[in-house]
Order: sequence, then C-alpha cells, then structure tokens
Amino acid sequence: MQYLIQLLISGLAIGAIYGLIAMGFAVIYKSTGLVNFAQGEMTMITAYIAWTISTTVSGNVFVVAVGAILAAVLLGLVIERLVMRPMLGEPVFATVMVTIGLAVILRSAINFIWDAYPHGLDIGMGRGIVHLGGIGVRTGQIAVIVTLLALLAAIWAFFRYSKVGVAMRAVAADDRTALLMGISATKVHALAWAASSVIAGIGGVFFALSYDLSPAMFQLGLKAFPATILGGLDAVLGSGLGGLLIGITENLAGGYLGSGMKEVAGFAMIIVVLMIRPFGIFGERDIERV
Amino acid sequence: MRTGDYKQTYGELVALIDSPPVWLWSTVLLLALIAAPFVLNSYALSFVMIILITVTGALGLNILTGYTGLISLGHVGFLVTGAYAYAVLVSKYHMPPLVGFLGAGLVPALASLIVGAPSLRLKGLYLAITTLAFSFIINTVILEMRWLTNGARGIQVQRPQIFGISFDSDAAFTYLCLAIAALTLFATLNIRRSRVGRAFVAIRDNDTAARVMGINLHAYKLFAFVTSAFITGIAGALYGIYLSFVSVEGFPFLLSIEALAILIVGGLGSALGAVLGTVLIVLLPEATRIVFSLFSAQMDTTFTTGAQELKSMLYGLVIILFLRFQPRGLVGAWHDIKRTWVHWPLRY
Repeated sequence: MQYLIQLLISGLAIGAIYGLIAMGFAVIYKSTGLVNFAQGEMTMITAYIAWTISTTVSGNVFVVAVGAILAAVLLGLVIERLVMRPMLGEPVFATVMVTIGLAVILRSAINFIWDAYPHGLDIGMGRGIVHLGGIGVRTGQIAVIVTLLALLAAIWAFFRYSKVGVAMRAVAADDRTALLMGISATKVHALAWAASSVIAGIGGVFFALSYDLSPAMFQLGLKAFPATILGGLDAVLGSGLGGLLIGITENLAGGYLGSGMKEVAGFAMIIVVLMIRPFGIFGERDIERV
Repeated sequence: MRTGDYKQTYGELVALIDSPPVWLWSTVLLLALIAAPFVLNSYALSFVMIILITVTGALGLNILTGYTGLISLGHVGFLVTGAYAYAVLVSKYHMPPLVGFLGAGLVPALASLIVGAPSLRLKGLYLAITTLAFSFIINTVILEMRWLTNGARGIQVQRPQIFGISFDSDAAFTYLCLAIAALTLFATLNIRRSRVGRAFVAIRDNDTAARVMGINLHAYKLFAFVTSAFITGIAGALYGIYLSFVSVEGFPFLLSIEALAILIVGGLGSALGAVLGTVLIVLLPEATRIVFSLFSAQMDTTFTTGAQELKSMLYGLVIILFLRFQPRGLVGAWHDIKRTWVHWPLRY
C-alpha cells in the first residue's frame, strides 16, 4: 500500500510536468491548428536559461522565475515571428515539417551553447522532503502539482472571461470569421506561441528542479505528447489532466511491470487512445474518418 | 510547327524513360557507379555505399510520404526492425542471406500492419504520432527481448555470400547495394505508373475525391504503408551489414528526420527527387566540413568535435529553408530551369 501511494504521488508529480508541457502543445494546436514538434526543445531551452540565471545572476527564486518567464515569452515570440509566420497559409504538412526542423536545430543549439553534461538547478528549495502520513514527498513535487492546478484554473478563467481569451477561441473555431470581426490572427498566433512557451517552460524548470538538466530533456516533449492526445489535442485543460493520468500510468507500469514498460507506457497508451477515442477524453469530436 | 513536349498516347505518358537525353544520362550514371569501386579510394567509396543504401530507404519512405501524402516520423523503427530481422536470421540462426533479406522486408511489413491498421483510419497527423510512438516502443522491445536480440549488446553481422559470390570486399558490397537500390528504383517507378500508384497520388491530392472514385482509402493507405516498411526494412538490413554491427544505438532517431529532409530537399513524390535529395543530404555535412576547413584549422576541429550536432543543425536548417523558399525541392528547381531553357527568350 505504501509502495502504491509512493508510486501514485511521484506519478502525479511527473504527470504535472507532462501536463504543463501538454498544455503547451494544446495552446498552439487550439489557436493555429498545428502540432508543434519543437515543444520539448523549447521547454528545454527555458530550463537551461533558468539554470544559467541561477548560476550567473542570482539564485533567488523570484529572479530565476521572472527571468525564465521573460526568456520563454521572448523565445516563443521570436520563433513565431521568424520561423512560423512566413509559413502562414502554407499546407499543414509543410508547417509541421518546419517545426520538426526547428526541433532539430534547437536541440543541437543547446549542445553547442551549453554542454552535454547533466546539471542540477539549485535555487535553494524544492529538494527538501516533507512527510505526509509517513510518506516522504519532495517540496518541489508538491509545488509542481499546485502550480499545474493553479494554471489550469487561471487558463480556464482566461478563456472563459477575458477578451483576449475569447478572441483566441474565436480564431480557433473559425479564423476567417474571426478576421472579419476584427481579430488579428497573427497577434493571436504570437500570443499562443508565447503562452505555450511559458507554460511548457514552467514545466521544464520544475523538471530541472526535481531531476536534472541534460541534453536528453527534449524527450519530455515526446513523453508529454501522449498526454495531449489523451486529453484531446484541442483541449488545453484536458491536456493538463491527461498529463496527470499519463504520469500515474507510467509510474504504475514502471513500478509493477518493469522499467522498460515505464518508457513505453505512454506511447502504448497513444495507440490505444487513437483506436478507441481519437479526439481524446476532452477533445471535440471533429476527427475525420475518411 | 509543333513546339514543346507533347505526349500523344497513354503509353508515352507513363513511359519510364521518355527522351534520348534521359537514356543517355541514366546509362552514364550507371556506368559511373559500376566504375566507381575501381576509381575511388575507400573513403569516397564509403560515401557511395551510404548514398546507395540511403536511396533505398528514402525511396521506401517516398512511397508513403511522397506518393500517398502520409507523414511517418518513425521510419527509423522499420529500419532497425529490418536490420535486426536480418541479423537474427543470418548471424544467429545461420540462414542464407537471401532468406535474411526476405525477413528484413517481411518483419517490418508485419510491424507496419499492426501500427497502420488502427492509425490509418484517421486523417491528418495521426500516423506521424503513432509511428513516432512505434519507433520508441520498438527500441524497448528489442532491448527487452534479450533471448533473441542480445539486448543492448547488439549482434555482429558479416558481409553476405549469395549464390557462391562473396560480397566481402567493399567493391562487391557496393555492387550489392547498387543492385538493390536500382531494383528499388524500378519497383517504385513502376508502382507509381500502375493503377495502385495512381490511387496513392489520388489519395494524397484529395482523399474525399479519391473515395468517391471508388478507391478503398484504408486498404490503399495500408498498402502504401506496408510497402514502404518492406523497402525500408531492406535498407535497414543493408545498413546493418554496412555497419557490420546491429544495435539500437546504430539507428538514432535523427535518421527519421534525415529521411524526411531527403524527401523535402529532393522534392516530394518524385523518385528522381529522392535520389537527388539523398546525394545532397549525405554529402552536405562532408561538403560543409571541407568548406569550413578552408577557412581555418580551428573551425575544422570544431567540426570534428561537434560533428553530430552540426549535422543535425544542417538538416534542420535545410528542411526549413527548402520548405520556405523551394517547397518543390531540387526536382522543382530542375523543372523550372528546364522550362526556362526550352522557352527562352519567351517566358512560357
């Protein structure tokens, strides 16, 4: 029982990180109709920038957090402006291939700018252990779950009540009509890329806090992918919850079936989800079966 | 007076070689490739081998991505399955190499059937996602099935001996690669001009219209996927023999990206494009290295230490630049040049 609870809690913690990155996928898909295959790499760059800030400028939590968020916003805006906007109006195939090319470039750029060795992000907190009913939980793990829940609530409110959020939903629903209503699609796209970069970047920083920074971190993007599929590619909140489910599944599979299963549990789930409910648990049913 | 390039019968339209210059160039290329092992040193010859093996794999992916318009991000999975199928059959169970090659095609084809049957019912990017998942799952499966695949230790592979002919030397192995690449080229060209190939292209161009015309979408997509996996598997077996050692590490995920880059650079949906793209992409890192080393020796060392990173960066850059500025690839550029040449000084 103790073992099971331990697995569940660490599953929730890693699942929250997947959930954050999965929300990053969903934000971009919802407003631009693209699957951003460079999401994992963007996450990784934000985490590396946070680490650089913590070692060179200051290890203060707030400095690192603000710096990382600003860097993530900038990264998202630059990518949207330089790489994605020129592809506006091109076929989906070409645009998605561009994100794949971008992923490869970013991944190697990280190896060039930083090095290939693992680093621990140390901001003086997140590694302490709290005992909850006899089970040791790291503060960082609690923080990431709380952050995910807070962001879920914030994003729900943003899409529901704010003018910008409604505009984003309008562009997602029908970009031509939205354009006629005076909504600038390019601004919405830029905002989506920035938001996605920040949300995923937060996940990346938490990952670096609880585990380590390493060039293999881009695989987080691949791990978060099943979460988006499970939650629904166009469902931002669903993707967040999908992340929790994938995290738990992965940990249970790893704990009871062997470590090899841990690596593939998420991917095996993708295939099952696509067979049964291809639009995900919370996604809208507009998958065409041709 | 007739001007321009007219096709008056259906046979002319689907002919593999439609003009004397193409005959000439094809013959020259074939002779050059046959002469290559005698002329080139072993370093240059290794590039010829890599190009021939990569062409085989790229033609395999071209059937799926180029003709049928479906993206696969996990073709390296079929490559590694094919390599392992060959290695297990030939090195472990001492079957004849031809059986090994057959297995190297059939095992990935079977795997593609399992992956493709559920995911090809859906439209859009779903195949990209499931194949991506497949390429990671298959690595774990290979590592876990130690009794068959030796797990992480990999399997040694000898160069084969077929019908008493030993392909041990580099020259002989180049001929084997050449034969397989040429066969694959003919096979894909013939698929393209058959009923099946026209169905593939119809699906790519407009799947609803294809369905209305009576094409069974699921069956044809699956057929394209299985054929593509079969050919890729054989390329994988060749690559395994070339490396003389089959292991999961020998087939990094970057190979999937490289294959897509080849198709985009060459021009999607064209066998000639796959060939041109392969030559460019395989030689690109080497060419860049030479250019950089002209500038300074220091850049040369950067290139050797960060070779893998620079290579992937180049691939990424080439993909983005081609999609942005020359989406029809090298073949498209070639067509434009040809048209300008024929019609000059008129625009068209």
